[in-house]
Amino acid sequence: MNTDLLEDLMGKAQGRCAYAEARHVHTRAEHSSVLNGHVEEVSAAESEGLGVRVRIGGAWGFAATRELSTAGAEEALARALAIAEAQPSAPATELASAGEPARGHWESPCEQDPFAVSLDDRLAHLFAAEERMRGDERIVRTWAGCMLVRTTKAFASTEGAACTQVLTECGGGIQAYAVGDGELQVRSYPNSHGGNVAAAGWEHLLGLDLAVHAPRIAEEAVALLTAPECPEQVTTLVIDGEQVALQVHESIGHALELDRILLGEASYAGTSFVQAADLGSLQYGSERLNITADATVAGGLGSFGWDDEGVAGRRTPLIEGGVLRAALSNRESAAAVGLAESGGAARADGFARQPIVRMTNVSLEPGDAGSVADLIADTDNGLYVESNRSWSIDDRRWQFQFACEVGREIRNGELGRLLRNPSYAGITPRFWGSLDAVCSPAEWRLWGLTNCGKGEPGQAMHVSHGAAPARFRNVQVGVA
Amino acid sequence: MSEVVELAERALALCSGEAQVTVTRERSLLSRFARSRPTQATAVDDLTVAVVVLRDGQTGSAETNLTDDDALRDTFARADAAARAAAAAGPGDHPGLPDAPATYPSHQGWDAATAELDPALAGAALARAFAIAEQHGVEAFGIWTAGEVEEAIASSTGLRARDLVTDAYMKIICRDGNGRSGWGAAGGSAMAAIDADAIAKRAAAKVPRSEPAELGPGEYPVVLEPEAVGELLQFLGNLAFNGLAHVEGRGALEGKLGTRVAAPAINLADSPRVPATLPRAFDQEGTPKAPLPLIQDGVANAVCHDLRSGKLAGAQTTGHAIEPGGSAFGAIPTNLVLAGGGATDSAELAAPIERGLYVTRTWYVNPVHAKQTLLTGTTRDGTYLIEDGQITRPIRDVRFTDSVLRILEASEALTSAQRFVSAADFYGRRAASGVVCPALRAQGFRITG
Repeated sequence: MNTDLLEDLMGKAQGRCAYAEARHVHTRAEHSSVLNGHVEEVSAAESEGLGVRVRIGGAWGFAATRELSTAGAEEALARALAIAEAQPSAPATELASAGEPARGHWESPCEQDPFAVSLDDRLAHLFAAEERMRGDERIVRTWAGCMLVRTTKAFASTEGAACTQVLTECGGGIQAYAVGDGELQVRSYPNSHGGNVAAAGWEHLLGLDLAVHAPRIAEEAVALLTAPECPEQVTTLVIDGEQVALQVHESIGHALELDRILLGEASYAGTSFVQAADLGSLQYGSERLNITADATVAGGLGSFGWDDEGVAGRRTPLIEGGVLRAALSNRESAAAVGLAESGGAARADGFARQPIVRMTNVSLEPGDAGSVADLIADTDNGLYVESNRSWSIDDRRWQFQFACEVGREIRNGELGRLLRNPSYAGITPRFWGSLDAVCSPAEWRLWGLTNCGKGEPGQAMHVSHGAAPARFRNVQVGVA
Repeated sequence: MSEVVELAERALALCSGEAQVTVTRERSLLSRFARSRPTQATAVDDLTVAVVVLRDGQTGSAETNLTDDDALRDTFARADAAARAAAAAGPGDHPGLPDAPATYPSHQGWDAATAELDPALAGAALARAFAIAEQHGVEAFGIWTAGEVEEAIASSTGLRARDLVTDAYMKIICRDGNGRSGWGAAGGSAMAAIDADAIAKRAAAKVPRSEPAELGPGEYPVVLEPEAVGELLQFLGNLAFNGLAHVEGRGALEGKLGTRVAAPAINLADSPRVPATLPRAFDQEGTPKAPLPLIQDGVANAVCHDLRSGKLAGAQTTGHAIEPGGSAFGAIPTNLVLAGGGATDSAELAAPIERGLYVTRTWYVNPVHAKQTLLTGTTRDGTYLIEDGQITRPIRDVRFTDSVLRILEASEALTSAQRFVSAADFYGRRAASGVVCPALRAQGFRITG
């Protein structure tokens, strides 16, 4: 893929609008899964097309087409211009700078091309894990799956950008469902909702050691059927890394999207309790809370050379010592709050969607609490939860309620009884204000999420969050 | 012959063995707005060619939006390789592709004016929304969208099917300077369902004019507007009527078919030809769409099946395949219709409530316990207190954690009027859908935060 078609098109857009950009995107994805000793799904999807976005006055127009000829591209440009012109008039506003025009090529790391691994080998790997979850008659569903994605992009703009990128993603996981006495319990590894996906090759899936963890997952699902319910109480909560990642995603990442803060997403994803004036001063959490948005971290699903407005990937501290320092921005929202340059967080889902403010890799920086075993040993009494089961947060990202697959009592620094249906709830700044320990770098890892929904028409974005197990004081649990 | 049908035939001719080709073309336009200004406008013209191949009861699938013969051959090859790899692990449980049915039902789900996708209509609708909002001293946020979707299926068993539908939808949230908001929306198969003035006025009227009161955790009588009822029913469709989950023992109606699961006034069906819904002629396996009563007079009657889940259950497909070849997720209803009751409006529903809750719509709903249909979410864009039978003061949005089946069991009355409600979020290939339902009153709505 090159930028020739796009650069020619941008030449034709010059003088007909204040700004134009075009993206050529080719995506190839494959999903494989096995269930109860059989192949459940083997599917492949490929799409390729062109998206053209233009700005006239204060209005955007965007048109997507799969026609990759010169005529097809020009027709998409004409359609985008017509749509922008048909919008009600709005005051023209400047865009923040994109920095140096994006030029060159970037690729995400990939040691072993996952598409070069034969389908038979992929299925054999999944079966090896899936069969180790079977045996107990109360296990009604044993599942193992993996996904591979490769996205190739070209981008050009009327400001001289012309760049290409290749992003490869790979990951997967396992799940066991147990049923008994009207109860259904599920355990997952390494994470719920499909496992863990990274910007990496097949080596990432191999490193998950799915088969090693399979028997434990099945045993825990069965044990949860007869475990006592998580009691309702206010207690100390230790959250495992994958749930911390989702907590960061929902109550920090989305809350710090500048388009939401400026009410641009009020019609769908919602707004934020954070105000633009809070940047630089809001006490978001305790001094243990350090959050970064890093599009340069290896393996992150939110890593790239340039975002989908041609802004170079960067690492930005969002919260330092609990104080809000910055938000996630694109060129339009950055300009609206007086920033000279975009924060480089404009991303689009495929060629047929326009870039909007999205998370890159928004991570909780590791602390100094040692291992998770050290953290539990340092906790007198409380609850330890793993693996998300349910998540919900209000449209201001203020009040949330999460449920996890499994809870364990902490008594006198040791893990005690298994508890089923654990849940917890809180108010975002109070909850993060109760953070008093984060495990050390050895426990910190990236957790990939592939179902982050936002935008209209809907866009499902892939993002990662670095996280380590963390401890929170005085949390309401057992609310569901 | 349309381009979509021709493409399906050409792709099938490049396949061998037992195969189904499904071509879906989307043309759509969506204009967004915020703070009474246009923000984004997206036009899409794209298609998907999906190929499903069967080998020894196993399926393999592949899809592309490339339409040259080489790409189509490659897509078949990928699907075929997938099916062979699956079959090599052992025979599957797919009963085989269906033969062509005698006929497909006709419907009125396409409208020529809507298919024009005229951006000027979007611009005019936005301008009206902005004007109405300004008259009420608030700002408008929302979307206007229209789409045309053509689908053709061609299979090696001789099945040939074609459907052509349109949809249109507009939603408006009016919001004042204090962040208090109100909601209005309308949609249907044709642009005629959209009256921007009326939607904007409804949204503006819902904006609270005073500071909201607090309502603490507890169980309250509730009046749920159709948007709130529809969202709960969509989740119920996934958790209770998914035939695959049911046959695997994971479904919420396991062991409950034929028993009372809701109040006698509850009659819920999947009704693909009710006028207010978005009709479809067939499902993703080419099975004709037909009405399916799900709850009759409060008694659980049936779950939804595609070919594969039907075979596992020892039943026939009910025409609810959501993906070509059937989905690993299962089969679910797509045209839910809850029958209306005898109440004139929401005010009448509120009349017997001494102290309770009026909910316009819900937000960020997710299952907490699937088998119990236990959901959590919050209210949004118009939550009010009911006091002494009157909808009185605004209250701050609340979190609920409650079971859909429990709410239906505790339902006491429904409005006679039903409304089409939709999430209209359009992830992936456009597949507009929604629920037709009334407002209802239920006891014991559980507020948890």
